[in-house]
Formats: sequence, C-alpha cells, structure tokens
Amino acid sequence: MNRRDAIRHSSLLALAATLGVTLPVRTWAALPATDGWSSDDEALLTLIGDTILPATADSPGAGAVGIGRFITTMVRFCQPPGAEAGVRQVLRELQQQSQERFQRGLAGLGTADRESVLSSFEATAGSRSPNSFRQIKELTLLGYFTSEVGATQALRYDPVPGAYRGSVRMADSDRSWAT
Amino acid sequence: MANHPTTQGAREHTYDAIVIGSGISGGWAAKELCEAGLRTLVLERGRDVQHLKDYPTALNNPWDLPHRGRLPHTTVRDNPIVQRCYAFDEATEHFFVKDAEHPYVQEKRFDWIRGYQVGGKSLIWARQTQRWSRFDFEGAVRDGIADWPIGYDDLAPWYSHVEKFVGISGNRDGVETLPDGEFLPPWEMNDVEQHARGKIMAAFPGRSVVQGRCAHLTEPQPVHLEQGRGKCQARNLCYRGCPFGGYFSSNSATLPWAARTGKLTVRPHSVVESILHSDASGRASGVRVVDAQTKQATEFFARVIFVNAACLNTNLILLNSKSRRFPAGLGNDSGLLGRYVAFHNYRGSLRAEAEGFADSYYSGRRPTQPMMPNFRNVRKQETDFQRGYMVFFSASRPGWTQGNSTPGVGAAFKEKITRPGPWGISMMMQGETVPRKENHGRLSTDRVDAWGVPQLVTSIDYHDNDVKLMRDFLQQGEEMLAAAGAKKITKNDDKRAPGLDIHEMGGARMGRDPKVSLLNRWNQLHSCPNVFVTDGACMASTGTQNPSLTFMAITARAADHAVDELKRGSL
Repeated sequence: MNRRDAIRHSSLLALAATLGVTLPVRTWAALPATDGWSSDDEALLTLIGDTILPATADSPGAGAVGIGRFITTMVRFCQPPGAEAGVRQVLRELQQQSQERFQRGLAGLGTADRESVLSSFEATAGSRSPNSFRQIKELTLLGYFTSEVGATQALRYDPVPGAYRGSVRMADSDRSWAT
Repeated sequence: MANHPTTQGAREHTYDAIVIGSGISGGWAAKELCEAGLRTLVLERGRDVQHLKDYPTALNNPWDLPHRGRLPHTTVRDNPIVQRCYAFDEATEHFFVKDAEHPYVQEKRFDWIRGYQVGGKSLIWARQTQRWSRFDFEGAVRDGIADWPIGYDDLAPWYSHVEKFVGISGNRDGVETLPDGEFLPPWEMNDVEQHARGKIMAAFPGRSVVQGRCAHLTEPQPVHLEQGRGKCQARNLCYRGCPFGGYFSSNSATLPWAARTGKLTVRPHSVVESILHSDASGRASGVRVVDAQTKQATEFFARVIFVNAACLNTNLILLNSKSRRFPAGLGNDSGLLGRYVAFHNYRGSLRAEAEGFADSYYSGRRPTQPMMPNFRNVRKQETDFQRGYMVFFSASRPGWTQGNSTPGVGAAFKEKITRPGPWGISMMMQGETVPRKENHGRLSTDRVDAWGVPQLVTSIDYHDNDVKLMRDFLQQGEEMLAAAGAKKITKNDDKRAPGLDIHEMGGARMGRDPKVSLLNRWNQLHSCPNVFVTDGACMASTGTQNPSLTFMAITARAADHAVDELKRGSL
C-alpha cells in the first residue's frame, strides 16, 4: 500500500466509523462482511450511499444504516453474476474522476464536491448498460428506506393501519408512507 | 406397488367422502360435507400449513427480511417460471411450488403457478370476488362457445351462502352485469379514483365503475368471529398469510370449521395418483395415493369423491384414472377430457399521470381497487372479437421509489423523494378467452414425475381473438383515461404467457350434452356420478370475473346435491 492509498484507506475507515457511530441494532452492519469485498470498498460504498441520502434535520443518512454492506450483500446475492464487477468499475471511475477534478479521492472531499462528482457521473452514466451507478443508487434507496431508520424517520411507517382512508388532506411537510 | 389393504385395513381406509385438494374449493367441499355429517378425508399433496402458526413472515417489518423482499439471483435463475409471478418474493416463496419440484412439459409456453400445501392457493390468491351475471352464462351459450347447464339463478343462492361465511366487502351498486352480493362495508376510493369514476361514467353511458369486491373482513360478523377471524387491518401483506384472519383462506376458515364437526381427516403429503373405478358397480370406489415423502402407495375408499386438485391437476388425475371401462381417463367418453382449457387475458395495461389533487393523500393499504364490469358484447355481438373484459384501475402517489428515476443526490434530493410524488393511474384488463378444443393438457407418454405419475403436457395458447380483444381494451382504456383528464398515457402489451393469470379453467367442462362435456349440471361426471369436479376444471367458459367465488358457490351447491343423493340412496 503506497502512501496515498494509505491515507485514503485511513480516511475512509475513519469516515465510515463516524457514520456508523449511531448504528441501530438491526442494520446490515450486523451481518458478516461480503466475501471478496474489502473494508475499503465497503466504506467507499457507504460514503457514496451517505452522499446520495445524507443526514437531514429529521433523519440520519444512509451511512447510519451500514449501506455499504447492504450494497455488497445485494450485488453478491440478489443481482446476476457480473453485477459486482460493474459496481467495482464504477467505484474506480468515481475515484478517478475525483482525483482528476480535485486531486484527491472522494473521502477527502467536502460534501458539495462529492455530490458534484456523483451528479456529473450520474448525468453521463445513463447510456451505459448495465448502469452500475444506477444500481448503486437504487440499492442505496432500497436499503435505506426499508431500514428501520429510513422507514420510520425519513418516511412514515404504519405496520398496522387498521383501515384505508381514501381522502386525507396533507400538508407540504407530510412524508410518504414507507410501505 | 400399491398396498392393498386387508378387510380390516380397508375399513380403516374407508370414509363417506374423499376430497382431493385442500385449496379454495376443496376447503368448501370439506366444510359442507362434514357439516352434513359425512366422515370426510381431505387429501393434500403438499405439507401441512396451520393458520397463524405456519405464517413465518406475517409480522416481519421490511428490515426483518434478509434481502428486503428481493430473491437471491440463484432462486430467480433456478425458477424461471414461478419467479414471474407478481406475488412470489422473499416473504412468500415458501407458499409457491419451485420449478424443479414438479416438472411439466410445455409444448407451448404456459407459466403454471402452483401452491402445494394445506390451503393450496387460497393462501396466495388475489381475493377479488365478483359474482358472474346472467349475461356471462347466457352470452357464452349465445356465442356457441359453451353449453352451460346452469345459469345465474341456479348459483345466486349459493353465492349468498358462501359470501356470508367468507365475508365479502363491497358496495351495493345495482349493476346488472355485476350482481350485488351479501356485502360487508366497501373499501373507499381515493379522491383521484372518485374523480375518474365520475368522468368516465359521464363520458361513457352504460359503463359502470364500482369499488372492488374482495374477501376481506371490513366489519366481521358473528360467523366470522366464530371462525376466529378478525377485521382486515389494511396491511396488504396477505400473501404471507394473515395473522388477523382478515382475508378468507381454507386455513383460516373452511378447514378449521370442518374440523370442529369431528368428521374431518386431513392427510398432507398425499399425492393422488388416480381415482379407482369399479366396473362392476359403475362407480368410483376410491383413490390411489402415493405418499409424497415415502413414495409408498395406499388406497382409500369412499362413496363420493370430490376432485378439487386445481384445474390442471384435476385434469391430470382424471386422465390418469384409467380402467377397462374408461381406457382414456375417468368419465372420458366424449374424448374431450383435458380439452377446452381457457384462462384470463391480462396482457394489456396502461399507465398515466393525473393532474392536480396535490393536497390529497390516503392512509392504509387497500386490498382491492375500482372495477368496471364488462361492457363489450353483453346483450349482443357488437365487436369484431368475441366476448369481453373487465377493467381494473387504481390511482396512487409514488413514495420513495420515485427516487429511482429522479436524477440527483444529496439533501434536496432526499427531501424531494420522501414526499408523495404526483398522482398516477394504472389500468389493467381481465379478458375472457374462448375455450378452444386445441387448447389442452394431456399426459406425457414418456415422462413421469417423482411419484411415478405421468407429467402433464401443456398445449395452451392465445388466439387472434385475444389480441383483438386486448387492442380494444387498450384503445378504450386510453379513451377513458383521457376522459378522466389523465395525461401522458402509455399502453403496454406485456405478451405474457398463458398461465401467469393463475385463472386456468376447463378441461372437464360442465354441459347439457354428454357428447361435448364431462360434467352434468351438478358437477357429476356424466358417466361416473359419484365423482364431482368443482374446481376450475369444471368451467365451460371463463367470464371476466376473478373465478374463485364462483368455484366456491359451485362447490357448495354440488356438495348439497351429493348429500341429497346419498340420503336418497342414489349414489
């Protein structure tokens, strides 16, 4: 590991540790790491997921539910063989673009620059097949909004509604139902 | 080798009635026969599933599921057929037959979706329950596609009988093409659906939009509480089994009810290989069963046999029940057993955006949606295709999944996609298909399953009529959505294979004339009257309604007749 990689490594893990401080019991972080995925890659995916869905006033971000491990688990077990290679490729390219534009990796960037790297990547990734960036984004949304934190804090979750009401006035601030 | 019981064994293996299958119609046969005092044996090829106890995922939150409902890609890869079913996911897969568990030969592609367990597919049905109208019977006869020996008036009292016990929510709409039943309070329409309903009915006189009728307890009555069932909680997690007994299944209702009589024996893991025929008496004497686990063969005997194995397996059992008298399968003098299989055409669908109603939302998860009873060829032939279709539509606002197609990342993106998105309307069809002789199931001559039973060959396909009917739906759907003020209307033909509708019907159709049918007006085999077929196999045409309610009514009616005949000594 050269010096640059070592810095990236430590800053990623540090960031992941920060994000993971308040991990509730039932998250993907409680599962074993996915074979073949390094803690670096997992931490980078967690960082990307937390950039897509960051903490906001009312709810934690995707990093708080260990989204990196969710993504590695899902691409390994629930997507066709080959999906993993596509996701790894996107990670490499994102780091490369981050380096080219800001002379450092994603973990070293402030929020605005990191969002900028992801947004411009998303804008050009649309024509790719498979669109592995989109896979990362979709898995981030799935993992976060079906987590306890995402469903109950970022959305409204009612496990036992009791009835269906067909006409409910809503305020602009009202959030969607989680399910 | 069959285990031929001794006299003592034969007595222990003898019941008053045998019911083959424990799904929605078998459960009804068991309930009615047990209540009439008959010692009844229910044979189920799958495992036992006890209400409440065997619903392992029923109370899971989304985060309790290891893959949040998604299936491992190995499961998808290994199950190309059943994975196409909309209800098959991580939380429900234990109630579906995996492709490798029971192979069949697709001469033409047919997605055969099965549930082998006590309760059968009544655990995983869609629970929509509309009565047929007189036009469905009479229209099929008028068009020369069926020889229905019964009509609406024959079934009406039996619809009432089963509806009261099942618990059907619905509105009394007074629509002749979709008769009212014994209803519990209806589910509400949301604001956009109400709006669309008004616009469509104003623009298309003679077409009705009614709220869906479904087998959910919106207000349990004493008979439902007595079953141990409670109010539907609007969770819409039904395919996992309901911990409240909010929807009707054999497991929650008919089987425990039958068990309370002390007359019921349920035997899981019992694959029925064939029905035994006594050439001397001209009656069926019993059934030969292969134990699903030990592969040991056994025989059971009874005076009356109900075949409720679900449409295609019922056909398979009858075809495999060969005797000197019936070399081509039990009751198959007409040579038509296994033929005239039909299904429902679901290929067409539409999506659109609905403007406005930005401050309107809903709460709870509703197990039904608005329906439009068939308006094509009702009183006379009016189009260039035969028969018609029912339309379903629903309006909703997307939740977080809108984020999958929303560009962006970060706090503003998150805020945006956690608020309800703009209203959308989706519309689908349930089209009648015309039973055709060439659409059939038959026994494979060279392949058997794990229990030594010949595999089923499916040769069932669409016809030009189905494509014409679908095109008409897509055009009418577009016009109706436009009339409702919807924008960006898109039409789709998903070209799905037959079978995925899970509404296969026919093969042993009822009819007046034994030369062109298998069953009489009481669902008895014309030439072997102590065998009753009352599942989907008995249907002479498909109508446009979800069929289970009709199977239940037909079963209760036939069971009542069987009991009468037994009392009279004529069976």
